Amino acid sequence: MVRMLANLCFLGSFLAFGLGTLGLFRFPDSYTRIHAVGMGDTLGVGLLGLGLFLLSPNWLLRLKLGAILLLFWLINPTMSHLVAKAGLIHGVKPAADTGVRKG
Amino acid sequence: MRKQAVLLFAILLAFWTVLVGAVNWPLTLVGTMVALLTVWFWQDLGPRLPRLLPFRGLLRLGYALVLMVGWVIQANFTVAKTLLFSRPAAKPIFLLMEPNLRTNWGRVLFATCITITPGTVTVDVDPESGRFIVHALNHETGIDLLYWRLVDEIIYMENALAARKALDAGEEEKHGMATGGSDRLGVSSPVAGHHRSHGS
Repeated sequence: MVRMLANLCFLGSFLAFGLGTLGLFRFPDSYTRIHAVGMGDTLGVGLLGLGLFLLSPNWLLRLKLGAILLLFWLINPTMSHLVAKAGLIHGVKPAADTGVRKG
Repeated sequence: MRKQAVLLFAILLAFWTVLVGAVNWPLTLVGTMVALLTVWFWQDLGPRLPRLLPFRGLLRLGYALVLMVGWVIQANFTVAKTLLFSRPAAKPIFLLMEPNLRTNWGRVLFATCITITPGTVTVDVDPESGRFIVHALNHETGIDLLYWRLVDEIIYMENALAARKALDAGEEEKHGMATGGSDRLGVSSPVAGHHRSHGS
């Protein structure tokens, strides 16, 4: 039962990463591609971690996985922000139909 | 300051111990040295870090994190739907917004939450005006961001921390008066000065 749940998590993770990769080809510019990659980085990594968590033989390993996931989810948005900001600073143009709205 | 350094050291050492997965003196010694080195290297960061939230603020932070998990899962499905079924694949917008956040840590927390949610990325935050430039995958995602409940949660935490700071400052002042020091007049006693330098 646990193994089946873990396998479902791995399948979901594979789908999230697959869709993220598809987004790299489908989306029109660098900024939108960051959103696609974000799917793999959040749901993909989360489900992978959950699957490994379920299969872990002891709690120390689970604690390690938790620490690695936490670190990953702290680093990932920082890097995404850096890539987007670097793009804006260096004049990477967004897709032609990108709108601007003041909130 | 000193309290923060000790806390950071304890967290780093605990993280090291969990990752190496064993407690013996050579590993603990190396971990202690690395943790001390890291604390020393980042000592300038200390004064800029927020103080620990009061208990109710921590509860609210936990609640907000649980909500975040739900929002991130929901956003993943929205992006997947856009990716698979939308023609054209995306109608992106740059959104300029000024949420009512007063502290830098609140802004950083909000920017991180925006970026970790697929479909929105914080491109820039102006520390002076608190204006965010956010890139959203489509208009709806961008508009949703303007009414995001997370802003209220962060404002609550900011207020909780400000109240605690005011309380601490009041107690410190009371302590200063009791010992004969007065910060406002700039004639603080050595005792009051000593207390402040270790309490911040």
